[in-house]
Amino acid sequence: MKQYQICTRCIMDTSDPEITFDENGVCNHCHNFDVNIKPTWRPDETGKEMLEKIVEKIKRESQKNEYEAIIGLSGGVDSSYLAYVAVKQLGLRVLPVHIDGGWNSEIAVRNIENVCKSLGLDLHTYVVDWDEMNDLQAAFVRSGLANLDVPQDHAFYAGVYKFAADNNIRYVLSGSNWATEGILPPAWGYMAKDRRHLEGVHERFGKMKLKTFPRISMLERKLYYPYIKGIKVVTVLDYMPYNKQDAMKVLETLGWRYYGGKHFESRFTKFFQAYYLPTKFGYDKRRAHLSSLVVSGQMTREQALAEMETEQYQPDELREDREYVLRKLDMSEEEFEAILKAPNRTFRDYPSSHEYLEVFRKIRSFFRKFM
Amino acid sequence: MFHRPRVIPSLLLRKNGLVKTLKFKDQRYIGDPINAVKIFNEKGVDELVLLDITATTDKRGPNLPLLARIAAEAFMPMAYGGGITQFEEIREILRLGYEKVIMNTSAIENAELIREASECFGSQSIVISLDTKKNFFGNYHVMTHSGSNDTKLDPVQFAQEAEKLGAGEILLYSVDKDGTMSGYDLSLIKKVSEAVNLPVVACGGAGRVDDFAAALHAGAAAVSAGSLFVFYGKHKAVLITFPTDEELTKAGVFES
Ligand SMILES: [Zn+2]
Repeated sequence: MKQYQICTRCIMDTSDPEITFDENGVCNHCHNFDVNIKPTWRPDETGKEMLEKIVEKIKRESQKNEYEAIIGLSGGVDSSYLAYVAVKQLGLRVLPVHIDGGWNSEIAVRNIENVCKSLGLDLHTYVVDWDEMNDLQAAFVRSGLANLDVPQDHAFYAGVYKFAADNNIRYVLSGSNWATEGILPPAWGYMAKDRRHLEGVHERFGKMKLKTFPRISMLERKLYYPYIKGIKVVTVLDYMPYNKQDAMKVLETLGWRYYGGKHFESRFTKFFQAYYLPTKFGYDKRRAHLSSLVVSGQMTREQALAEMETEQYQPDELREDREYVLRKLDMSEEEFEAILKAPNRTFRDYPSSHEYLEVFRKIRSFFRKFM
Repeated sequence: MFHRPRVIPSLLLRKNGLVKTLKFKDQRYIGDPINAVKIFNEKGVDELVLLDITATTDKRGPNLPLLARIAAEAFMPMAYGGGITQFEEIREILRLGYEKVIMNTSAIENAELIREASECFGSQSIVISLDTKKNFFGNYHVMTHSGSNDTKLDPVQFAQEAEKLGAGEILLYSVDKDGTMSGYDLSLIKKVSEAVNLPVVACGGAGRVDDFAAALHAGAAAVSAGSLFVFYGKHKAVLITFPTDEELTKAGVFES
């Protein structure tokens, strides 16, 4: 067992099995943030100018379209604030697209409604077939993997892309951002974008065929959508100062409410992040999120440490959510208990495109170096 | 006097999923019933109607295991209809926590079941769904089998018959208005509610909160809606919603 250690700058610690520290006790995530992320993160004047140019281009290219861009709207902070920025600051005609994976909380649907109503936006919802979603989600629970949010995240990602392509909308505005998501250890769960992985896990533990579940392959993601269909993803919030607290204050004027934790707008994600991961895998995703806020200057290290001490679940609330998740997945208490005790797995135990992606990454950095 | 008529979302089950129809056809998938009921529950709705629209046409009974899982999410009174042909099924559905059972096809094919059930469980737990369709000559007919079978019966006569058998409430559906969001069929509501002493719940056509007031004014004791509570905006995006008390008061649905 490695000795416990915590970063002297952020609050990442040895609950990330792959963490390393330099001689000053600063972790690899902080270094990664400084070296790889900071140069692409532009919360300043240059960002403002770049974004203006992008918006001009979007408007020029989408004159004939009813909507200039789509945004994935979950009802959470990032996507709701993105909608606000797109309408009020950038003056874009956007269509919010909501992917309903079957776990919306009441707060999430109310937020979507209030954001759309107060910004005067239309809405499109893609409802994922719950029988398929259920089967896929139960398959991931049975797999012993850490990232149980793969089905939800994949459907979201694939659904938004597909909608853009089907409706000839070339710009997708994304709420993902370095300011609140700059740190996330790869060891804490394999990515959701890998179709091979999604289907591989389902093949092993699923019970029915996936027919309509939205999926996106590596080729589609890297080649078809960006180059053939010409769809561009713009991470708008990376071109401006983005402060979570300030964003929430703005959103509250639209009738939006906070739901108590990053991505807790989904009932499943709350249970998964606040209970399943800490219980079975011994880590708490808040640590990465709060570390992101520390390195992006939105919070002090002390505030982050204090936040980690708060309870995410009251006992009856946890019991209620656990019963709900199991009832919805149609899974027995006994089976779930056994899953919690079974050995933990990593994505290497299942099919994935990891190796191809590594090759792809190497080729790209080779070309970047020599061309 | 403070008057607060019931405003009831009605949800349609097809197998394990919810759908929304247009004139009882064009089923559009709208998601998982368990989550939908939980959201409605948290929105504080008064009452909920759940209708399995393929049970009778598939020649099967109610999906009791699913009904049990759905009931666990509802703290408000729920009424269930679809595929009920047996006395025992009624007992089981009430035992699961549903306050009312709704019968349509059975009410016509097996009147004895209505009488027996209302004697045993009380009128308040037996609802008759009157699915009506206007024919070419402008006459209303009672339909069964999710609107696919024309019984040629007159809704007024049938409503009076149901009252005699001991039903406690009538769910009055207009097949022609279903999903159109163009307002209720007010003359139908007037006709039926004047002919019986039973509470009539207006169903089919609600497109905005103002429509509720019109239906109540025409004689309905309560109002029900589908599309209005599950669709948002011009693309009919699936999004569960329910008006606030203020909105209902402002529209004249609630009176204080
Ligand atoms: Zn660090």
